[in-house]
Amino acid sequence: MTKFNVSRRTFMEGGVGFTVANLLPGTTPLAFAATMEERTIAAAKTVGAADVSGMIWSPYLVPMQPVIADFKKATGIGVGAVQDISIFDTPQRAMAEALSRSPQFDFIHIDSNMIPSLASAGYLEPLDEYMKKADFKIDAVGDYAKFMTYKGQTYGIPTDGNVHIQYVRKDLIEDPDNKKRYADKHGKELKFPETWEDEFRIQQTLMDPAKDLYGSGSLRNRANGPTWWYMMFYSAGGFTFDDDMNATLNTPAGQYAVDIYLQEKKVAHPESAGWGTPQMIPRIAQGHVVTAQYWDGTARLNENPAKSKTTGKWLYGLVPGSDFSGKRIHRSISSPLAALLVNKYSPRKAQAAYLALWLGSGKNSIPIVSDPVNTFNDAWAKEHMTSELVQKAYSPAGIKAIEANFQVVSPPTYLTGYLEFQDTLGKNLSEAYVGQLPAKDVLKKTDEEWNAIVRRIGRTKLKEELASYKALMPKRNVPA
Amino acid sequence: MRKSQRRRLSAVLRYVVLSLWTLVAFFPIYWMVSTSFKPDTQWFSWPPVYFPDPPTLSNYLNVWFGAEEYTTTQYSISSQKPFISLGNSTVIASISTFLAVLFGSVIAYGVSRYRILSEVRMFQLLMLRMIPPIVVVAPLSLYYSAIGLLDTMTGLIMIYFITSLPYAVWMMKSFIDEVPREIEQAAEILGASRWRTVFEIVLPLVRSGLVATFLFILILTWSEYLLALIITKTQVSTLPIELSKYQGSTEGRVYGRQAALAVGITIPLMIAGLIIRKHLARGFSFGMVRR
Amino acid sequence: MSVAAVPAAQVQALPSTRELSRRRAITRFRWSILGPLIALLVFVLMPVLFLQLYFSLHQWTVYLGTWWDAEYVGLELFQEVLTDPRFGWAVVRSLSFATGSTIGCFLIGFALAYLMYKPFRGQAFYYIIFILPMLTVPVVVAYTAEMMLYQSGPLNDLITRIIGIEFKPAWLTNPHIALPTVMLLEIWNWAPFSFIIMLAGLTAIPKEPIEAAEILGASKWRIFWEVQLPLLRPVIFLALVLRFLEAMAEFPKTWALLQGGPGTATETLPVYIFLTTWQYFQISKGAAMSYIVMLLMVVIVLFAIRLLRREKRSLDTMYAKAAARPQELA
Repeated sequence: MTKFNVSRRTFMEGGVGFTVANLLPGTTPLAFAATMEERTIAAAKTVGAADVSGMIWSPYLVPMQPVIADFKKATGIGVGAVQDISIFDTPQRAMAEALSRSPQFDFIHIDSNMIPSLASAGYLEPLDEYMKKADFKIDAVGDYAKFMTYKGQTYGIPTDGNVHIQYVRKDLIEDPDNKKRYADKHGKELKFPETWEDEFRIQQTLMDPAKDLYGSGSLRNRANGPTWWYMMFYSAGGFTFDDDMNATLNTPAGQYAVDIYLQEKKVAHPESAGWGTPQMIPRIAQGHVVTAQYWDGTARLNENPAKSKTTGKWLYGLVPGSDFSGKRIHRSISSPLAALLVNKYSPRKAQAAYLALWLGSGKNSIPIVSDPVNTFNDAWAKEHMTSELVQKAYSPAGIKAIEANFQVVSPPTYLTGYLEFQDTLGKNLSEAYVGQLPAKDVLKKTDEEWNAIVRRIGRTKLKEELASYKALMPKRNVPA
Repeated sequence: MRKSQRRRLSAVLRYVVLSLWTLVAFFPIYWMVSTSFKPDTQWFSWPPVYFPDPPTLSNYLNVWFGAEEYTTTQYSISSQKPFISLGNSTVIASISTFLAVLFGSVIAYGVSRYRILSEVRMFQLLMLRMIPPIVVVAPLSLYYSAIGLLDTMTGLIMIYFITSLPYAVWMMKSFIDEVPREIEQAAEILGASRWRTVFEIVLPLVRSGLVATFLFILILTWSEYLLALIITKTQVSTLPIELSKYQGSTEGRVYGRQAALAVGITIPLMIAGLIIRKHLARGFSFGMVRR
Repeated sequence: MSVAAVPAAQVQALPSTRELSRRRAITRFRWSILGPLIALLVFVLMPVLFLQLYFSLHQWTVYLGTWWDAEYVGLELFQEVLTDPRFGWAVVRSLSFATGSTIGCFLIGFALAYLMYKPFRGQAFYYIIFILPMLTVPVVVAYTAEMMLYQSGPLNDLITRIIGIEFKPAWLTNPHIALPTVMLLEIWNWAPFSFIIMLAGLTAIPKEPIEAAEILGASKWRIFWEVQLPLLRPVIFLALVLRFLEAMAEFPKTWALLQGGPGTATETLPVYIFLTTWQYFQISKGAAMSYIVMLLMVVIVLFAIRLLRREKRSLDTMYAKAAARPQELA
């Protein structure tokens, strides 16, 4: 396997680089090492060997293991005990760690949207110093590296882009009968959807519940629902707060997003209200949905014939946008954006930090993001986009879609209290989706609850954070 | 003649009702066991597959021994080590149960013979069990983290010991009450201390009661979920927690794997329960049932 | 702790030295047993309860500082909880869940016990099968339920085949039936408990009064209502009370299966407290909520204890009488 060869060579060169550096004390020796990977190894060697422990979900960890093994050989820094829990559960567990200021975990692998909360709680070690020592740069596509920063400091190293892309069943929308049916019904050509309205029409026309084929494979459960809603909301020109930190969900843009979000009920599987990734991914890969916005890693699953019945049957592209604001805006989303964060209270934080840098270099992460079996770490670095291995895993069309969506990628509420904001919204959306709450009340209620959260956490504090959040919003409305 | 007919009819009716409930009670268990032997295409299918065809051991091999070559279309991985959890569960459940039974039987003896706890106190003791654990779990975890008991077996053993003590006391009391006092009085006259009397005379006489109480409490501690969920992290993990982690650690429904783990968790419990089935009522009945 | 009642016989005569030393020995014995118990409660339970009290009176915003410099807010948090409609709904859900599942467990447990308390062929077999659900770990029950209850799953399929009409409720995603679904699981899981207790109770009823009534020509129905049921009262109370209390605290199944969803359909008290504390990290609000729930539970438990004690007393007197004059009861 090539990835071993690459890494082993890196390790050898790293060793050489370090030897040279040792001969020249007093200077900034590490800069002499040739590549970023070698510099990372050299810097890591200065802090000593250790097995770091952390919180990480095994589908993410397993493809990292060979890369970690190389680092261990080169520096003695490896991974010891880990708490293996789902990426959707880590935010809660990490907060629990933060408030007891526990030194137990050295790193946590977590949704980077938790950075403001965890940094405010004093749990996170800024990584800028380590990055400087190794002359390390997060070489991400577009402005993606900014997602790791909060109030001007870098707190995380991404391992998983997790950007949403649009999935459309090629065989279905290119089918002549379907094309005719669609044209007759809507007076338009059946093609890749550009707006939410288009997508819904396609879903409605092509779905066939009798054959267990449903229109949509997007998630609508309580935990994940907000991720989809944000795409609709942002693309309608909405933003979550005004400059004075008053919640501004209950606006025409918000209501529009709620309506789009809820109409999906007509085209989704009747049990979609309770389904998360474990239920939905097989549905997509086994060919039971027409279209979906989904995390990009699912493309790798779809293109793996051993695991999918739909290999070669997909079109990938930009997520739908909206003309609601008067101009066409597309907004994709990255949530959970899995990243490695380092615990400030850990005695092995330096080791954990360098391990994170090692895993987060473009070159080292190629085998991680292209693993065709463990498809949880998704491409994010510039280097990934041109790598043959990665292209093969996602299909060239998949990679193109990822690049396009990265240009309009946005975060969910990137503020302290993320968990609370997210779950309140999720709860209200979910209540509306199952009919417990009228659609018109969703945002009114959410605004009230969000304003209460703002009051509790402190308006002044959150106002200071608003700039970090806004900096993450994309500059473009449509990808170049 | 009429009477015997009616009797036969009611007997038949009884068998019908009981057999119906047998189906209800048994079907979920059957479903779990059969799913654990199904190949991955049959876990979640329409129409459902009622009998594994062909039965396979791959789920067990994968979950318990991490045999990855047995996976085909569905992929599931986990760095969980169920045998370590099995070990943890066994140690935690058996030590806390042992302590609760030991301590509980001494208290029960004291109550039975010397009324060291009044009846009111005996009932108040029950509160330890009856207050929902959710209301104390947050401060408990902070307190534990402050005194270094978070993520340790000691921490879990302590809290399990406390919550299972009431059942131990009540159950053991019902056994000790049945032992005639004459034997102890004879021992006392011979000058034996109370402690010796307890350990050398009374407890050996209620051996079967001790076993029953032990297994009864083992059932409760073995399956505890909420406290373990909060208190365990990396160093300690119990089987119910292991199972719940397995739930999310996949990219698809891996019912077969889950079922294979679930069967392993359940079997020890069922064995324990069936051994003491005659005594189960005592544990729950707080002296309300006389025999 | 109150002093144990001293048997009357010992009070009358002046205590001899031997008697005095015996009593001292008993006191020593007593405290050497109770001492560790009290120590344990003081060192484990008290700090926890005090911490909880502290949090419920101090607003700790976890992002802003450590818990020891949380701001004192008096009873504000209690007010917040008591005016929180979500909390109100959680109370309602928990109470209805507990009531429904308690009644369900009792009816099924009692019916089965009544059919089985007299020996018959196959009794042992049925007994073993019937207690199995209770010996299943609650988390396992939840996941097994997930395996069975999806819309095109085996349960719906079986029922459809049996009744011949399409039967397709979405057990887990329809907000109107999600809570009843968990309730059914609870009943499946714990009906054996009521069954075991009721069976023990029914078998323990002395045969003489029933035989006497039979000789007098009483119908089965009357014997049931006027002889068996009154004698069973303590056991019935016990089964109801214990089930109710346990059902109020039910967490593993609800959480593992639905996490409070769909919408908020299964957000019971334990789930809501868990969410508030471990999802929103409103530790203080969670603490206030916990205290309110604890008070509620203590009230219920105290009431239950009174009830149980009364029943136990009357049972004790009855059996004492029966032991003294066995022929009279018959």
